[in-house]
Amino acid sequence: MIREEVLRQVQERFKDDIIDFFDKTPKRVFIEIKPESITEVVQYILKERAARFNIATALDARYHTEIIYHFTIEDINLLISFRVKLDKKKPKIDSITPILEGANWIEREMNEMLGIEFVGHPDMRRLLLADDWPEGIYPLRCDYKEWDEKAIRDRGI
Amino acid sequence: MVLSHLYFLVIFGFLLTGCIGLLASWIDRKVTARVQYRVGPPILQPFLDIIKLLGKETLMPAGASKVTFFLAPALGVSGVILASTLLWLNVLNTQETFIGDLIVVIYLLTIPSLSLIIGGFASRNPLASLGASREMKLILSYELPFILALLVPVIHSGLTIKLGGILNYQAQNGIILNSVSGFIAWAVVMLCIQAKLGLVPFDIAEAETEITSGPLIEYSGPALALFKLMKSMLLFTLPFFVMIMFLGGLNWEGIHLLWGFLKYIGLVALITVIRNTNPRVRIDHAVRFFWGPMTLLAVLAIFLAVKGY
Amino acid sequence: MDIKTKALLKSPWVFHLSTGSCNNCDIEVLDCLTPRFDIERFGMILAGSIKHADVLLVTGSCNRQSAIRLKRLYEQVSKPVFVVAIGECSLSRGMFIHSYNCPVPLDKIIPVDVYIPGCPPKPEAIIAGVVKMIEKVKAADKAKKK
Repeated sequence: MIREEVLRQVQERFKDDIIDFFDKTPKRVFIEIKPESITEVVQYILKERAARFNIATALDARYHTEIIYHFTIEDINLLISFRVKLDKKKPKIDSITPILEGANWIEREMNEMLGIEFVGHPDMRRLLLADDWPEGIYPLRCDYKEWDEKAIRDRGI
Repeated sequence: MVLSHLYFLVIFGFLLTGCIGLLASWIDRKVTARVQYRVGPPILQPFLDIIKLLGKETLMPAGASKVTFFLAPALGVSGVILASTLLWLNVLNTQETFIGDLIVVIYLLTIPSLSLIIGGFASRNPLASLGASREMKLILSYELPFILALLVPVIHSGLTIKLGGILNYQAQNGIILNSVSGFIAWAVVMLCIQAKLGLVPFDIAEAETEITSGPLIEYSGPALALFKLMKSMLLFTLPFFVMIMFLGGLNWEGIHLLWGFLKYIGLVALITVIRNTNPRVRIDHAVRFFWGPMTLLAVLAIFLAVKGY
Repeated sequence: MDIKTKALLKSPWVFHLSTGSCNNCDIEVLDCLTPRFDIERFGMILAGSIKHADVLLVTGSCNRQSAIRLKRLYEQVSKPVFVVAIGECSLSRGMFIHSYNCPVPLDKIIPVDVYIPGCPPKPEAIIAGVVKMIEKVKAADKAKKK
């Protein structure tokens, strides 16, 4: 199936879920969807379009927190990125780990670094941070402040 | 009489074996370096290694059994010293031999490998037990062709199991290497020695990058110095043993001393060449190698020896 | 100089330890051990286990997890030992000075003897650093005798 056909079918199927559609280059498409419909979209694109989950990236923007899920459809050389915008105070979204086991670790990392809560994740533990890192402090947030008194941050010259 | 034997034990068994063994390990390292197109270590390097190790502190892991941890290197070194003393005694005066001293020497020469196993299991470390179990499998595999091939000089010299008897036979009838069966048996013994010394291609127990020094992983300081000394002394004792069995031993008169010296250097050079031109084999390949082709060759050599070739 | 220090300087066995580096410095250290920059002429061999080591070549900025392990490993080295910090990350954390995961530089965790700057330092620089350390120990010993 060619690229335009695929994109037209995605737009038709999720008419009321898609907020924004950005056709950036022949290889990349950015589709912004509502956070509630993430499980349906992921189910559709994995089963019917036979895409592959690459990675999920998250960042803390000025007024919201967003997650982008990247899927590749290799036969037509297309990378689709689904962007969800979440509330900054308490970011919460359904976990896609029950559908796709490969998203297990990236959701753990997003949880400990940015504080995003994933509803339905089977095993939410620390992944990368040290064991004595205090709870509730998320390093990659915009308003992260140095909490460690014993840290040395000047070069001593 | 006890005093004179003590003199033999200390001077010949320990000091001379240690010095020649450490010099032989220097030759090994220098030749390896030259083959790899680089400069090697200076001549006193192995001695300085041992002296340096004597000055470091000894650490013992918690939970390791104290007695066997420190007994293992002492056991290994004493086994080599005793075997080397026996060999020197026989070379210096072939009348000092007794019936069965060949069997005693073969037994004493397995003690160093056993001490590695004991040391490996005494340190409370999974990598050490892995290395020690590999060493056990290796011993099981190479002892068989080793002993079978050592029967060939025994058969040639009229079924005598005295080292002095074998030396006397070779003094009269020429070295055992000259015959076909002797040559085959010598080749088998050289490969078994490569495994006994723990050198590539059979240094599976002490593979450095794989299991980080295997049984020696928890040793430091003087205990490690004893293990390294044991290895160097073994580098002298085993080629010396091969010289006695197959190449006519060491003769003290005049020009024959030079021939003996060259024979020893030749054996060490052969060990080094095999070491530098081969990769390390896996343990199942090694066991299959020793129980397969090597045993068959040893049996063939025995058969030819009985027939008289 | 007593025989212990003299023998230690003439046959230092190196052990390579990475506390969370990008592996560039590790590649340069491994480069040192190849036949081109032969370090066996100084008597240095790569030790397999840390208990056989006399010189610790440490790379990488120490993050919170590896600080715990590094302290445990340093207790397992049989003293006397020299610690050589290689690369910018182990000198002062380099560009990771404001990182949330690297609170203190390496020499606040274990005592360091020689610092070799560079990102990554060339193998010639690493060899020159280790030789300078040997000279420094000899000079310190001579000054102590006087």
